[in-house]
Amino acid sequence: MGLYALFILVPVVMSAWKSLTNENPLQDHARFIGAANYTEMLHDSALAASLTFTLVLAAVVTLAANALGIAFAMLLNRTSLSFRMMRTLAFLPQVLSGVIVGFVWRYVLAQDGVLNNILGSLGIISHPVTWLGSPHLAMFSIALVATWVLTGFTTVVHLAALQSIPVELYQAAMVDGAGRWQRFRAITFPMVAPGTTISVTISLITMLKLYDIIAVLTSGGPADSTQSTALYIIKLAFTDDRFGYASAVAMLLLAVSAVISLIVTGLLRRREVDL
Amino acid sequence: MRHKILTAACLAAGLALVTGCSAATPAGGAKGGSSLTYLTFETPSLTASFWDSSIANAEKKVPGLTVKKLVAPSTDRDAYAKQLQASGQFPDLLQSITPSTFATAGLLKPYDQSWVDANFLLPLGNAYKGKVYIPPTNSQIIPEVFYNKKLFAKAGLTAAPKTWAEFMADCAKLKAAGVTPIELGGGDPFSASMPLVGILSADILGKDPNWLQERYAGKVHFTDANVETAVAKYRTMVKNGYFETGALGVKYADSITNFTAGKTAMYMMGSWFLGSVPKANAADFGAFLTPTADGSLVVPFAVGGSMAISAKTADPAKATAFAQAWSLDPNNYKTLIEGDGAFPMLKGKTLADYNVNVTQVFKDSYSYVTSQNTKVSALGWATNDDSMPSGLNDAFYAASQALFTSDDVHGQMAKLDAAWDSATK
Repeated sequence: MGLYALFILVPVVMSAWKSLTNENPLQDHARFIGAANYTEMLHDSALAASLTFTLVLAAVVTLAANALGIAFAMLLNRTSLSFRMMRTLAFLPQVLSGVIVGFVWRYVLAQDGVLNNILGSLGIISHPVTWLGSPHLAMFSIALVATWVLTGFTTVVHLAALQSIPVELYQAAMVDGAGRWQRFRAITFPMVAPGTTISVTISLITMLKLYDIIAVLTSGGPADSTQSTALYIIKLAFTDDRFGYASAVAMLLLAVSAVISLIVTGLLRRREVDL
Repeated sequence: MRHKILTAACLAAGLALVTGCSAATPAGGAKGGSSLTYLTFETPSLTASFWDSSIANAEKKVPGLTVKKLVAPSTDRDAYAKQLQASGQFPDLLQSITPSTFATAGLLKPYDQSWVDANFLLPLGNAYKGKVYIPPTNSQIIPEVFYNKKLFAKAGLTAAPKTWAEFMADCAKLKAAGVTPIELGGGDPFSASMPLVGILSADILGKDPNWLQERYAGKVHFTDANVETAVAKYRTMVKNGYFETGALGVKYADSITNFTAGKTAMYMMGSWFLGSVPKANAADFGAFLTPTADGSLVVPFAVGGSMAISAKTADPAKATAFAQAWSLDPNNYKTLIEGDGAFPMLKGKTLADYNVNVTQVFKDSYSYVTSQNTKVSALGWATNDDSMPSGLNDAFYAASQALFTSDDVHGQMAKLDAAWDSATK
């Protein structure tokens, strides 16, 4: 409890206090300004854009990574050595630091990068695709890389859930003549629900605070199109010198993350209870 | 319960100890002397060994001083200095920061003006509100237009353009000859802004050198017709296909490689690019200034400098002595000139005095600095009173990237005005 208070509660309370001030990292004294930072947020178009991008990215990546996670988990749910090795490989992206992932993918997605070279040599494209150079493609690229990273995590979580399903259930279903799809719908999907709850919730939280991969891949560009809210907070604090306002935005992000996590967890838990 | 409280107390004490140890503590250095912290940054030219040897050389001239090098995690020294300040670790010495950002907060100590006057060509070149916070050791032209003479010849061009109309005509000829006219490393925001910096510096500041001061006073705006007309020139270049199609996906480092490898004919970049001109075929490269409508020369100029001194340093005398020794060391200038394309601004010296091996295109570019001509503050790069407010550079970079794909010049300029007003509120 002491550690929790020291590393979680104290910073949150300090941030909440700062959000009510006009603190500037270069000035010694901050002034209490009440809710002014919060009312300013209502008219901040850059915040609205970053929040929209963050929420869409979180939804898309969470869905994609968890769907892929279940699929890969089913493929890798074997006990032989080769499958155990493949499980390790599947988890590898999650182990790598976001900065390293960003640098690796930057080379893959560059104008003369690996992806364009492969697509070009296969005759699929005649000119290099600007994966990171146009706003919509840059958003897609961020989603692609984030999905790649998170899929390792969701695969392992779902794999653990799959291994807790009694084999007898599948055997009984097969005796009753259930096909693959029916076995998935009636047994696998409901039985991995606890794993899905954890996986979806952590995926969402990870995406809502995503910073490192975006910072390396696009720096929030082009033209701020991939600026996540976390990136915007750093810019406000250390470029615009507005610690107070940055703290207010951070509190908003914390509130949004908490509300979304609670709703999603509640919905998914209900599904678990229904089992 | 008592055990838990004790654990928390120990952790807190440990943290305080770690924080205390890592903070910039100027007192109590080796052998009873002073110990100061010095924020530096590394680039391919300004390597760790350069900083180590330059620090060691300056330390020798200040007995009893030990300098601890801090390295910014990126070339954005300002942002890192702010982080250090926010965590109570503001360095004693800070290399090549933007003085206005920190001087307004009273964090910097000005240099003795008589020392500056005695040693530098433009003593007030980077002065902020009449005081010099970083010695004006060197300068840059931001941007120049570098060009590949072989690719010009391939398109039948024999000389660099002098007017904007000639520039556009040359771009058209290059494109018709199958050569991409202009390289743009648009994947890095600062690099994406170079054409706009060139055009606005030439067209707006060239005609009204006080434009930035007038913007501070609210007398002029980015949405003014003359500014929007100038920005529209950039849109014309984009729409005519004078940059490579996927330029916003090209990183700054790759843009240098593309241009030096002969993939594109021209490159609008700060004169620090001179340090990247390949020595083997340096004669293939030339440089000119962003052309104006009437062909008059406008030099977008920025006087840089060495290190600022913290106003809170515990040993101002030794910090100043170290900074002065570093700023006058010819060995440092050799690296800055050859590797970083810096134009030296020491009084009474010629290039030969630095024992440097520079290219002809460097000498040609340096002549713009030493000649009498119209020098204006390079928009967004000046470190003097013409520096833009905190956060404006980022807004300018974002506008530059947006204008690569959007025709909404007025909308982007209105955003810049709003950002300016917010930053100066």
